[in-house]
Amino acid sequence: MTAETPYLNRLSGLVLLAPMTILLAIFFLYPLGKTLWQSVNDSGFTLRAYADLTTSTLFFKVLKTTFVISFTATLVSLLIGFPVALHLSRKTPRARVPYLIMVMLPFWTSILVKSFALTVLLGYDGVINSFLGWLFGTAVHVPMVFNRVGAIIGMINYLLPFMILSILSSLLAQDANLGRAAEVMGASRFTIFRRITLPLAMPGVIAGVLINITLSIGMYITPALLGGRKDMMVANLIDFYTRQTLDWPLASAIAVVLLVISGVLVAGLGRVQGMGQAREVAQ
Amino acid sequence: MTRLSRIAGPLLVPVLAWICYIFLMAPSLVVIPISFGGGGDLHFPPKTWSLELYREFFTQPAWWGTLLRSLVIALCVTVMTTLLVVPAAYALQRARMPGGRILTALAMGPLLVPVIVLALGLYLELAPFGMLNHTLTVVLAHTMLATPFMMTSVGASLRHLDRSYEQVSLIMGASKVRIFFRVVLPQLKSGIAAGALFAFLISLDEVIVAYFITGPDTETLPVKMYSALRWEISPIIAAVSTLLTLVSLLLAVAMMRLERKERSQ
Amino acid sequence: MNAPMTPPPTPTAEEGINRMTDSATQMIRVTGLTRTYGTFTALDQVDLSVRKGEFVTLLGPSGSGKSTLLNLIAGMTQPSGGRIEIDGRDATHLPTNKRGLGMVFQNYALMPHMTVFQNIAFPLQVRRLSKEEIARRVQGALKLVQLAHVADRKPKQLSGGQQQRISLARCIVYEPSIILMDEPLGALDKKLREDMQLEIKRLHAELGVTMIYVTHDQEEALSMSDRIVLMRKGRIEQQGAPEDLYFRPRTLFAADFLGSSNLVEGTIDASAGQFRTSLGALPLPAPQPGAPATGAGVLMVRPEAMRFDPASDAASGWPGIEATVRDSIVLGGVLRHYLEADNGHRLIVQEGSSAHRARPQRGARLRVGWGPDAARLLPPDPEFGKT
Repeated sequence: MTAETPYLNRLSGLVLLAPMTILLAIFFLYPLGKTLWQSVNDSGFTLRAYADLTTSTLFFKVLKTTFVISFTATLVSLLIGFPVALHLSRKTPRARVPYLIMVMLPFWTSILVKSFALTVLLGYDGVINSFLGWLFGTAVHVPMVFNRVGAIIGMINYLLPFMILSILSSLLAQDANLGRAAEVMGASRFTIFRRITLPLAMPGVIAGVLINITLSIGMYITPALLGGRKDMMVANLIDFYTRQTLDWPLASAIAVVLLVISGVLVAGLGRVQGMGQAREVAQ
Repeated sequence: MTRLSRIAGPLLVPVLAWICYIFLMAPSLVVIPISFGGGGDLHFPPKTWSLELYREFFTQPAWWGTLLRSLVIALCVTVMTTLLVVPAAYALQRARMPGGRILTALAMGPLLVPVIVLALGLYLELAPFGMLNHTLTVVLAHTMLATPFMMTSVGASLRHLDRSYEQVSLIMGASKVRIFFRVVLPQLKSGIAAGALFAFLISLDEVIVAYFITGPDTETLPVKMYSALRWEISPIIAAVSTLLTLVSLLLAVAMMRLERKERSQ
Repeated sequence: MNAPMTPPPTPTAEEGINRMTDSATQMIRVTGLTRTYGTFTALDQVDLSVRKGEFVTLLGPSGSGKSTLLNLIAGMTQPSGGRIEIDGRDATHLPTNKRGLGMVFQNYALMPHMTVFQNIAFPLQVRRLSKEEIARRVQGALKLVQLAHVADRKPKQLSGGQQQRISLARCIVYEPSIILMDEPLGALDKKLREDMQLEIKRLHAELGVTMIYVTHDQEEALSMSDRIVLMRKGRIEQQGAPEDLYFRPRTLFAADFLGSSNLVEGTIDASAGQFRTSLGALPLPAPQPGAPATGAGVLMVRPEAMRFDPASDAASGWPGIEATVRDSIVLGGVLRHYLEADNGHRLIVQEGSSAHRARPQRGARLRVGWGPDAARLLPPDPEFGKT
């Protein structure tokens, strides 16, 4: 019988839940509500901010930049992440540990540290350029930082662990006997990959892509530190309107737009993961 | 298949994977040798070796003061998150509360909303009350950000905790308070520890919210680093980065040990 | 008074049940106990009394309400209606930790973070006993279950059987007068289970505690209990001593749940002293309490009460039923024969086996029947088989 009498009564439940609920109300729900309210309020109710947005070339330019950078970074992260996930999935759980540490390392490192290190590695006289210079016997100065390339490289470094772990989980969920059975039936490695491994990894791929886009469209530090002047993203624009021009309604309106976009993505992610769970249950 | 593809085929995945591993690790590790270079220029590998950058860091109160402040804030956040979220997670598992599902979703909320939106919201909320530039608000805001992580790890431990431990203790005559401290908490130890490590690290590394709601008196280390990186790349940052990376590594190792212990049980 | 000093008559099982309504010796009394979950009734108006020192088994298939009844007595579930008295006090709404019970769980529920010693000491610490007293009692309990040498180990380092003994020790160490057991041996293999059954019976006899034991294993119920309470769909189907339930079931469900049986449907012809069935007219059993006297009925005979060639030893002149042997199997000490009558009805016959006893050939034609007191007449049950 699932409908057991609960171990804790409502009063104790209330006492235990109240502190966290109050914190979330004041420091999570209220700020979100305040942003929503601020976006339609400039000494009185007004849709001025949203009207300004629809005519703002800067906003649309930034929105376009955000999407271009996010999609590029996500795509590259998928292309690099898949082989890594594949490599990890072929290890025994014991042998996988040191590789997982390497994957998780950037996840644990401060984004500021990584950004700083990338400026050193990718800079004008940086490690990569010095290495290329030594290789070709001439001074090489490929611009790789403080421009869009830098922003995207920094972002990929941040996004990769999420992509790899997401794909890895769906690769590990696969029954190893499927591949063996196909091999017995005479399928080549490539056929097994194309007809079995790849289709079954799709939920992980889709989840990884959605997580990456969701994370990257709200990115603030990486474009600010590694991108160029023209690589401002939505998050930076919000900061610009909040603290440079002090146009809070406009900043809030942009935040609401960002919230809606990421809300749609998160909902999509929820559906994909729901699908994955449904499939697990069905199996 | 050509001969080339027969040789390259099995190698393709490992080679690609290793390039990626290097790309993933390099930024975290390269700061360590740089930080031991001589003052002035940033070079990898350094031309001369010295502890100059660390000496500078620890002689400038503007730097080590913010590190200290950040550590204190992170510690407070860890304690706050544990105190607020562990009882809540327990109640959500063991009491049947109206709106319990909504509350569970709400606790995951900070993870799903872009941090910049929360930073703006907190700024708009606190500015009119003159509450910007307060350490307490940073602690509470970071606690909010850490809530989903604690909820997830404690929730997972709780789901694995068989109800019969509590039932048998009740039958033996123990009170529910005693059962919580003697029977439940000890078995949630590793889940709480994992959540606490996350909370500490989130607070220690968090930039955006702190950047929005702190002022000159309450600046955290990441905020100071961010400003330093934006306006002038001071070599001291290499030393700061190394220190932060070492803390991260330490916590990561602790986390892995916890996970292994959890699995072996 | 000079009444003759005759010894009191040995009570029959029926009288035994009536006698224990004597309130002085009752440890648990449950009246009209009901528990519903939405539209589903898990327990329906159950009355049950348990004497001090009695070993009562709640037996039934899953979903019969036996665990619900146990959880209600333990206070882990709140009743929708009815009353629970423990040791003469109303305990219906008493919190679990104030009921003074002991309980053993199927998964042992030993705290993984405590050593064996700490586990057993826990209920004593709750009772604020002194350190010396706790150490003394824990040692005593460990000796009682013959595991004094594992005191400092963690539960994970013990075998399943040892863990079960420790959970028993933890349960008896604070001397509760009532011990509840929820399928305590369900996780053990057969051999270990039989050892533990003896162990539990020994502890029961030594400590004189009242036991309420839940199981779905009929053999366990038969071998351990003073009284079996058979449950079905949230109600008590029948209760009594093991032999009572086995030899004198009142319903088809009871007959079928405990042991195997041959069942034949038919109509009672009291005037002719016959029971008319598709196997022909069978001799009508003597009237028994609870058995139908007219109309439709079901005749039950246990396989071990079946005889080959009944006409040779029966005075009734009933020649028995002619049947074909389909299979014969050796089950250790017994031989079991599966037969098929000419109308397709299947019959099971069981007899003692020995090294010299030849098994009948498949396809052999034999006559089978039963003695005059071996059969019981049961009321028909339209719902039978749907549980």
